[in-house]
Amino acid sequence: MALHAPPKLEKYADVPYEEKERLFQEVKSDPRFPDYLYGCYECGICVAACPSARFYDFSPRKIAQTLAREDVELFYYQLNEDVWNCSQCFSCNRCPRGNSPGGLITIMREVAVRHGLRSAKEALEGYSRVIYKIMLTGTQVSPDMIQADAFPDWGPVAKETAEKLELWRKAIPPETMHTTSTAWEVSDQTLAELYLIWYMTGVLDMIREVDEGLHMILTDVMEEFLEEKGLAVAS
Amino acid sequence: MDTDRTTGERVFRRDPDLPTPEDIRERVLALEEAGEWIVQRVPQPYREVPTKYGWPKKVPLQHTWHHKSCGQCGHIPGYSTAIFWLHRKLGLDYDDPRDQTSCTGWNYYASATSNAAAQAAVAARNFAAAYATGYFPLIHCGTSYGHYKEVREELVKHGELRRQVREILAKLGKPLVMPEEIVHYSEWVYAVREEIAARRVYDCSEVVVTVHPACHYYKLVQGDAIYDPDIYGGQRTAVVTAVAKALGAQVRDYSTWFDCCGFGFRHILVQRDFTRSFAVSRKIETMIEEAKPDVVLTHDTGCVTTLDKSQFAAQVHKKKVGVPVMSEAQFAALAMGAHPYRVCQLHWHAADYRPLLEKMGIDWRERWREFEEDLERIQRGEKEYLTWEDVDAEVPARHFLPVS
Amino acid sequence: MPSDVVLVIGGGPAGLEAARGVADLGARVVLVEERDRLGGTPVFEQYAALTHGFQDAEEVMDRMVQAVVGHPGVEVRLRSKVVSCEGQVGSFRVGVQRLEDGAPATVEAGAIIVATGFQHFDPGRETQVYGYYEYPDVITLADAEAMLKAKRFVRPSTGLPPERVCFIQCVGSRDRQIGNEYCSKVCCGIASKQAIEIRQQVPQCKVYIFYIDMRMYGYWENEIYWPAQEQYKVNYIKGIATEIIRKGDKLLVRGEDTTLGRPLEVPMDVVILSVGMEPSKGTREVAKVLGLKQNKYGFIEVPHEGVDPVATSVPGIFVAGAAAGPKDLDDTLSMAGAAAMKAVAALRRAAVAGAAG
Repeated sequence: MALHAPPKLEKYADVPYEEKERLFQEVKSDPRFPDYLYGCYECGICVAACPSARFYDFSPRKIAQTLAREDVELFYYQLNEDVWNCSQCFSCNRCPRGNSPGGLITIMREVAVRHGLRSAKEALEGYSRVIYKIMLTGTQVSPDMIQADAFPDWGPVAKETAEKLELWRKAIPPETMHTTSTAWEVSDQTLAELYLIWYMTGVLDMIREVDEGLHMILTDVMEEFLEEKGLAVAS
Repeated sequence: MDTDRTTGERVFRRDPDLPTPEDIRERVLALEEAGEWIVQRVPQPYREVPTKYGWPKKVPLQHTWHHKSCGQCGHIPGYSTAIFWLHRKLGLDYDDPRDQTSCTGWNYYASATSNAAAQAAVAARNFAAAYATGYFPLIHCGTSYGHYKEVREELVKHGELRRQVREILAKLGKPLVMPEEIVHYSEWVYAVREEIAARRVYDCSEVVVTVHPACHYYKLVQGDAIYDPDIYGGQRTAVVTAVAKALGAQVRDYSTWFDCCGFGFRHILVQRDFTRSFAVSRKIETMIEEAKPDVVLTHDTGCVTTLDKSQFAAQVHKKKVGVPVMSEAQFAALAMGAHPYRVCQLHWHAADYRPLLEKMGIDWRERWREFEEDLERIQRGEKEYLTWEDVDAEVPARHFLPVS
Repeated sequence: MPSDVVLVIGGGPAGLEAARGVADLGARVVLVEERDRLGGTPVFEQYAALTHGFQDAEEVMDRMVQAVVGHPGVEVRLRSKVVSCEGQVGSFRVGVQRLEDGAPATVEAGAIIVATGFQHFDPGRETQVYGYYEYPDVITLADAEAMLKAKRFVRPSTGLPPERVCFIQCVGSRDRQIGNEYCSKVCCGIASKQAIEIRQQVPQCKVYIFYIDMRMYGYWENEIYWPAQEQYKVNYIKGIATEIIRKGDKLLVRGEDTTLGRPLEVPMDVVILSVGMEPSKGTREVAKVLGLKQNKYGFIEVPHEGVDPVATSVPGIFVAGAAAGPKDLDDTLSMAGAAAMKAVAALRRAAVAGAAG
């Protein structure tokens, strides 16, 4: 494997330092941050365990090191270039200091999303239908997501599944699983509770930053649904 | 450390005097005493199983509220069905709720379009829903399990987060509840593996198995995972392997056992070259080269999806692929005589499972003919759905003995 | 009635040096040892060469044992254990039990020196997945030491000399998850020493050391680290391994070569785990019997270590060696001398106070 090239920090030279510093402080002040970063031995056990490190020019060690050293320029670079390569497997939780590079990346991603960074929007392109499903239906993955054109590399089973979906779903014994647009049957009351959670925790605001169109659809559907149930969006 | 007298091999014996890491369950109970939340206790009957640091863990046998998995119910319906079927055959009652949302962990890990409060509130809402029924949550997905362990840690450590979640739940008319244990269904399978083995109908002694343990099961918050001195000498997690061995199958090792499957959350949807490359090169090819398995068994939704679905495209590049992948629940069900299509729903799987069925002595042609008849009856409008009654009637009555 | 006896608990290097020191100062010693012979860990685990100057461990320990056994001021009680303690400095009454038959005895002592030592971290515990209990070719520093002493360093699975051997440092030390947060101090020196010995005994074998930091204090730097690299071509790689698993007939070590910035996966014939120190069972038991404060790791707590390295929480009871925490041999012998001096001083003070009424 080739030696890693040094990061081209010039790419973000036109972003004001104060902006980078602000985002860094936002990561650092997350309540979870002290649980995820103690000190760093720079020992590389996280890289040794990491699947993404074998495929991408990606290093959980460098993420932890950068945050430990408070290197704001390098942090901003990683926030845009590296954090979406992580596969969130948490093999890096092997760390003898008790750090969680995967956890640090989770916080960094949330900050990127909250601020609508272009790199976050690009990373989430093609992903909006999953957000749609999870926000609105209460299950993330549904049978009708298996379309042959979406999963050509899965082989003929994707095509066959899509063609026979309605019929095949009826031939599954558990009563809750005869659905096609959701993974299982979710009650209306449950959905209403879920929508209220998204509102009350600010998740919808996060979505607006990365996909305004999606946000509009979600709020329309949710507000109508809640109105029907006689529930208001409590603040 | 001791030496086994017969084999001369080293035997690990845990010294009870040496300190272990903090057991978070103690803090969970302490918070109940302080009035911070209600702790739902594991109901009887339960079994105690050994875990990583030697602490006993309670696994409920029945009265369980099944926290289902999106990916299983959505794309691998035989996985969920097999879990339910095993309960039914062992005479253990369960609840399959409609008042359940996804853990939303996949979205969280893939897109970060969520935050700690939302994730904790979703978890707490599901726990409260279970509590209201009196049935104890049993988690189907490895990522849900790992994610809920994370959420538990965050709620224990951060009073402000607890307060925020408590307020949200109060608006929903629900109390803040934390289960006494966070239990994965594969831990239930481990706990009843002898009962499963006693009901085995097909011979598994010729079946070669490789096991893939899920990262989120044993790497993410490590203390809850089952480690058994009789399996891998207590040095690797025991779930999946234990039931495969109990069924008499040959479990073979391979040199990338500890590697992630490569699922990647966001990657499986929008950057599948990573997932496919990793799953095939690091896991499937290595398993085939070193162990020549008849089946790959695992215990998580994402892992089954990744390892099963990544093999097709790799054939174009002449990669050594073509081993069926399924959950240990589906394999156990097959061994107990479950219908490969009505129960295990193998027609949803990509890699060819028919050689495995033939090796076990299961007549898949006949079974598929039966299933096609079911499908025709449904199409003709003679029946609306395939039901549990259709399926329960199959296996001979002697296997209905309830487990105590 | 103040006693003129110092009780030394433990017959390893610390206990032997302390006992001889006390006796040389003219006081009487009762030396209690649980095992059936003196010498402690270096003898029990068959150390080959000592890290300091590569002296032959057996010869050094023989000399130390003879100095005590032949000494008229020292009474040695083997196969014996301390089971109770009352009193205070000047007049402790200690119950000592003979292990064969449980025969009790009481030793009256004016001062006590605890020299009960350490045990190695058991690599089957907690986060360690290095396969010590799965593969005979994964061994510890102690296993390696015994083979080097016998001049038969081989792959345990084949009995043949290995071609590739590696050390993994910090096993069971410096780890927040396991709880042994401290550095065990001696493993970098020992591993480098053993690496040199392996290269001497098996010249065709390549040797690697995977480390987080190389702790080469003082003269270890030029006496051990430099020769290991320069003369013996030992490969030091900064990057610590995750799991060990078998591939074919080799063991696969997965790590990151951090200075070159790439993951590495290398096959080895033998993997040596540099296991750290923990308080021995004897140390933990004696601490409780004598009422000594232990630190959070279970070692005997030394209240002001930098200033008074041998004091414990109980006046008149002193500690020497690894019972107080990770120590190397010269720490241990220095502490033993200091403890001997302070123990005899305590006796003398108590005698004077007693005479004064």
